[in-house]
Amino acid sequence: MQDQLDRALSEAEAAAGAVRTRAELEALKARLVGPNGSLTAVTKVMGTLSKEERPAAGKLLNAAKARAEALLAGLLSKVEEAELAAALGPEVDPTLPSPDAPAGVLHPLTRTRERVLATFRKLGFVVAEGPEVETEWHCFDALNTPADHPARDMQDTLYLPASFRSADAPRKGEEALLLRTHTSSVQVRTMLGRKPPLRIVAPGRCFRRDAVDATHSANFHQVEGLWVDRSVTLADLRGVLDFFVKETFGPDAETRLRPSFFPFTEPSFEMDIRSPDLGRLSGRWLEILGCGLVDPKVLEACGLDPAEWSGLAFGLGLERIAMLQHGIDDIRHFYANDLRFLRQLA
Amino acid sequence: MRVSFQSLQRHVDLAGVEPAQVAELLPMLGLEVESVASFGLAPLAHVVVGEVRSFERHPKADRLSVCQVDVGDGAPRQIVCGARNFKAGDRVPVALPGAVLPGNFEIKVGRLRDVDSHGMLCSAEELGLPAGEDGLLILGGSPALGAPLHTLFPPPDTVLEVAVTANRGDCLGLRGIAREVAAALGRPLKPLDPRSSVGLAPAPSSQDAVGFVRVTSPACPWYTLRTFRGAKVGPSPDWMRRDLEAAGLRPVNNVVDITNWVMLQTGQPLHAFDAAKVSGGVEVRAAREGERLALLDGREVALDPSVCVIADASRPLVVAGVMGGADSGVSDATADLLLEVACFVPSEVRRASRRLGVSTDSSLRFTRDADPAGVELAGRLAADLLAELAGARPAGPAVSVGKAPRAERAIRLPQGFVAAKLGAPAPEDQVAGVLRRIGFQVQASPAGLDVVVPSFRSDVERPIDLVEEYVRVHGTASVPVGRPVATAPLEPEAPAAAFAREAALRLAGAGASECCHYSLREAAEVARVVGPEAAARLALENPLTADQTHLRASLLPGLAQALRLNLSAHADPSRLFEIGTVFRPGPDGQVREHLAVALVALTEPTRRSWLARPSPDLFAAKRLLADLAALAGLAASRLAWSAAEGGLWQRGHAAALADRGRAGEGACGLLDLRWTRSLDIAGPVLAAELLLPRATLAARKLPRLEAFSAFPPVTRDLAVLVPLATPAGDVAERLRQSAAKAVGKEIAVEAVTCFDVFAGAGLPEGQRSLAFEITLRHASRTLADAEVAAAMDQVAAAAGKAGWTVRR
Repeated sequence: MQDQLDRALSEAEAAAGAVRTRAELEALKARLVGPNGSLTAVTKVMGTLSKEERPAAGKLLNAAKARAEALLAGLLSKVEEAELAAALGPEVDPTLPSPDAPAGVLHPLTRTRERVLATFRKLGFVVAEGPEVETEWHCFDALNTPADHPARDMQDTLYLPASFRSADAPRKGEEALLLRTHTSSVQVRTMLGRKPPLRIVAPGRCFRRDAVDATHSANFHQVEGLWVDRSVTLADLRGVLDFFVKETFGPDAETRLRPSFFPFTEPSFEMDIRSPDLGRLSGRWLEILGCGLVDPKVLEACGLDPAEWSGLAFGLGLERIAMLQHGIDDIRHFYANDLRFLRQLA
Repeated sequence: MRVSFQSLQRHVDLAGVEPAQVAELLPMLGLEVESVASFGLAPLAHVVVGEVRSFERHPKADRLSVCQVDVGDGAPRQIVCGARNFKAGDRVPVALPGAVLPGNFEIKVGRLRDVDSHGMLCSAEELGLPAGEDGLLILGGSPALGAPLHTLFPPPDTVLEVAVTANRGDCLGLRGIAREVAAALGRPLKPLDPRSSVGLAPAPSSQDAVGFVRVTSPACPWYTLRTFRGAKVGPSPDWMRRDLEAAGLRPVNNVVDITNWVMLQTGQPLHAFDAAKVSGGVEVRAAREGERLALLDGREVALDPSVCVIADASRPLVVAGVMGGADSGVSDATADLLLEVACFVPSEVRRASRRLGVSTDSSLRFTRDADPAGVELAGRLAADLLAELAGARPAGPAVSVGKAPRAERAIRLPQGFVAAKLGAPAPEDQVAGVLRRIGFQVQASPAGLDVVVPSFRSDVERPIDLVEEYVRVHGTASVPVGRPVATAPLEPEAPAAAFAREAALRLAGAGASECCHYSLREAAEVARVVGPEAAARLALENPLTADQTHLRASLLPGLAQALRLNLSAHADPSRLFEIGTVFRPGPDGQVREHLAVALVALTEPTRRSWLARPSPDLFAAKRLLADLAALAGLAASRLAWSAAEGGLWQRGHAAALADRGRAGEGACGLLDLRWTRSLDIAGPVLAAELLLPRATLAARKLPRLEAFSAFPPVTRDLAVLVPLATPAGDVAERLRQSAAKAVGKEIAVEAVTCFDVFAGAGLPEGQRSLAFEITLRHASRTLADAEVAAAMDQVAAAAGKAGWTVRR
C-alpha cells in the first residue's frame, strides 16, 4: 500500500511540472483524487483491510492525502499567478519617463496677486473690482485731479472715441471714456456703491500710453486698497502696510514713508522698503507703493462727509512686487509668455 | 530741477554739511533726488599743467602729432596727440601715466603706431568739464608747469537732480529747496534783500520806452514791465556763468543770464526785450488767427487765439510764459531794455506749451503756479544785477497792470486735528514750531492754531494739508505703526475674482500653463474675431503704436501666438490658458466687458514618447468648457450647443455654447486651420473660450441637497435612423422630452445618452444610426418591466412622429 501511494503521488508530482493552465490542473486533480483517481483507488483498498491493519493504513492514507492537497494548492497558486500575469501584461520598467505633460503653472502675476490679496484678507479687506474702460469722472475728476492735469493728456492716457458706449461704465453727458490709468477708480465706485465702514482691495489691469521697454508696459496690474471708517489714521496706514511688507518680504524688511504727492490723498507718501534678502537690490531703499489718507475732496465727490468719515488708500504695482520678489529685471517678461520664464517661477 | 550744492549755499549756510547728507534728506521731505553728479573739475592725481615745447607729424599717421611736453620735472616727455588746435608754447592739461580720468580711464605708457607716448594731452570733455571747442583745453594765463590741474579751477560742485512733484512749484527755485533744507537742518534761511525798490505805476511815463502797456487776455492776471537804459551787453562774470552751467543752462550774455539766474533763485521767470525792437507799446493779448512767430530756438510756429502772446503795436513778440521771439531779444547791440516780470495762469501756459510743442524753464515754472510774490522780488533782484553787471539804469517805476492773483492764506487748524489724523500725540507747540520752520506764521488760539501760509505754497489750503506739512518736516519716522484691528466687513467678494481663482487652478491642474497678454491688439486680428464692423467699435481714439490700436475681443489670438513663440523656442508648449477681460460690442451698440477664460492645446505631441497617448479632440475641449461653465454657475439645463461658424473657428470642427440665461457664451473646437498654419503651427490647434459678462457675473449660490432614490435605475436602449444633418443633441432632447412625458412626474428620466453613432454600409443613403441609453428611476419603488416597456413604446412612437425610423 505504501508503494501504491508513493507511486500515485510520484506520478502526480512528475506531471505537476507541466501544468500551466487551470484546465491542466483540473485534469491532474481528476487523475489523482477524482472518482477514478489513483489515490482514490488506494482509498478503496481500505475496506479490504483487517481491523488491526486499518489504523496504520489510515495514517499512511491521511499523510498521502495531505501531500496531494499541498501539491494541488501549490499548483493552483502557480496557475492563478500565471493568469494574473497574463491579464496585466508584461512587467513595466518604472524608470521610464511618463509620456504625459506635467501640470500647468499659474502666471507669476496671478500667484503674486493671490499672495497679496491673501495678506489683506487677513486684515479684513475684501476683493472689489471695476471696469477697465472707465469714465473720465471716475478716473480723474472724482479723484481730485484737475482738468488740465498732465495725466489726462492724450499723450499719456489712452482714450476711446466719442462714439464709444460702455455698458459697464455709462457716462454722464459728454465726458470722455478712457482705459483706466489706475485702479483708484474702484475706490470711487466702491464708496458710491456701498456704505462705510469699508475695507477693499481691488486688483486689476491699468493702462498708460507708454512705449514698452524694460520698465514700462502698455498695460500693468495694480492692487488698490481703501479703508474708510470713522477715524482712520496715519498709524493705521503704517500698521496695514508694515504688515503687508513683512508678510511679503519677510520679517527683516524695513519700511519708511517718504512724502510725495497724489491728487487723491493728503498727506501722500511713497513707501520704500529695505531688505537684506533681495539679491543685488539688498540693503537699498526701494520704492514699492504709493499711499496716503483719502483726500477730503475725494470723500466729498463720493458723497461722504469728511467730518464724519476718513480713509486711507494705497496702490501697489503687482509687476513691481513680483520683480522684487523673483529678481526679474525686465517687465516685458510678464507679457512675453515664454514657458521657460513661466515654469521657473511656478 | 538741477540743484547745485554751491548755489544752494547762497540761501542757507551748509557749513559742515556734506552734499550726500542733503541728497539723503531731500527725499524724506518729498523731494526725490534722481541723481547726484559732480560738476566742475574734481581733483585728479597725476594730471598737471604742461607746455608743448615742440611737435612734429607722426611718421606713420597724418592725423597724429608727436609732441615734446615739459611738465617742469626736467627733460620733456614725448606724448602722441590727435588734436590739432594747439601750437608750440601752449600750456595744456597733461595726464601722466598713473592718472585715472573720469569714466575710469587709466593712463599708461603706450605705443601709438610704433611711437612711444608717455601720457595724454587732454580736452575739457576728457577731464569731465563741459565740452568746449574741439581739441585740447588750452590753459590761458601761463600757469606754473607741473601744477596740479585742479588748483587752476574753482572747487568742484555737486549737482543734485531733484524731481519736484506737481504741487511744489516753490521748489523750482533754489530758494524753495533751500527753505526745505534749512527747515530740516534747523538752520535759518539767509536773508534776500534786494537794494532796488520797484515802485509801481499804472501806465508808462515819458521816461519809459513804450507808449502803452495793455492786458486784454485773461491768461495774465498781473503784468509788470520796466524800462532800463544804457545797458552794456557783454559776458557775465564767472560766478554767474558757473551757477548757470551747474544748473544746466547755457550762458548767453549778461542781461539774458541775469534773467535766468534770478529765475533759478526765485522760481519766477523773467523776460528781457530789446526796447529798440518793440514798437509803440506792449499788449498781452490772444494771438490772432494766421499770426506766426519765429522763436528763440529757431523754430517758427503758427499761432491761434488759444495762445496768449506779448505783442507790440504790430506783431507778437513772445508766447506768454513760454518762449521769446528771435528778433525782439537782447543782443550785443542792445542799449535800452524792457524787463517783463508777470503772472500767467498755469493752465493757459500749459495749454500753449502743449499746443506749440514747446516746453521751457519758464513754462515749467508757470505751469506749477509760480509765487505771485516772486514778481516783485525777482524784479528787484534783476534791477540790482542789471545795474551792477550791465550798468543799466531804471528809467522809472515798473508799469504794473493787474494784480497778484493770490496772496497769503489763513487756515485755522483745530485743536487735536493733527493728532487725530496721525493716530499719535502731536503737541500744539511742536506743531507750531514745525510749521514756522517752513516759513508759516503760527498763532496759538483757544480753538487751535491760526496759521498764515505764505503765497509761495499754493498747495496748502486746508487743515489736512497742514497735517502733511507737519508729518513731512517733523519726519515720517514719527508716524507710529498701528495695530489694525481686523474686522470682517459684511461684504461679499467680487464674484469675478473668486471665479478666476478657481478656474485658474482647475486649468493648471488640467496641464495648462497660464499666460498674460496685452489688452490692446491690432485691427486685423480683432476683425478676425468679431468681424470688421464690430472691430471698428473697439478702436482707441489715440493709440500709441500701430499694433496696439484696438481693445481685445478674445484671448485666443494671444494664446495662439504664445503657442507659436514657445514652439519656436522649443519650450514644449502643449496647453496654455489665460483669464482676463475682453470687450464685445452688443446688438444695442454698447460695449460690454467680459471675464474670459480661454485655453489652447496642440493636438500633436511636441515631444516623441516611448508610449503613445490619444490626441485631445473637440470633445476634450467640450468637456473642459462645460466644466468651466458649471464652475461659473451656468445651469447645464439652460446651455445649448451648436456648430460654431466663422471667426477663429474651423468650420465643421467647432462648437458654440449659448446660455439661455444670457449669463455667458463660449465656443470650443479646432481653430481655423489656415490661420494657425499661417502662424507656423503645423498641426490643428484645439481651443475653448468662455465669456462671462462682468455686469451679470454673480456669486455662485451654494447648492441645496435634493433627496435621491434608494431604488435601482432601469436602462433601456433605443436606436433611431436620422438624417445626417440632424444633430444628436436635438434627437436626445426630443427623446428626453417624450420619455418625461411618457413616465410622468413620479419617475425621473435621469439621462438620455448617445452611446453609438453609425453611418455607412447597410443604412439608407444620407442617414445615420444613433443609439441612446435611457435611464429611468422611481423615487420610492422599483420599476416594473411592463411600465418601462409601455413608456419606451411611447418614446419610440414620438421618435417615429419626428420622422425618425426606430431600429428594433
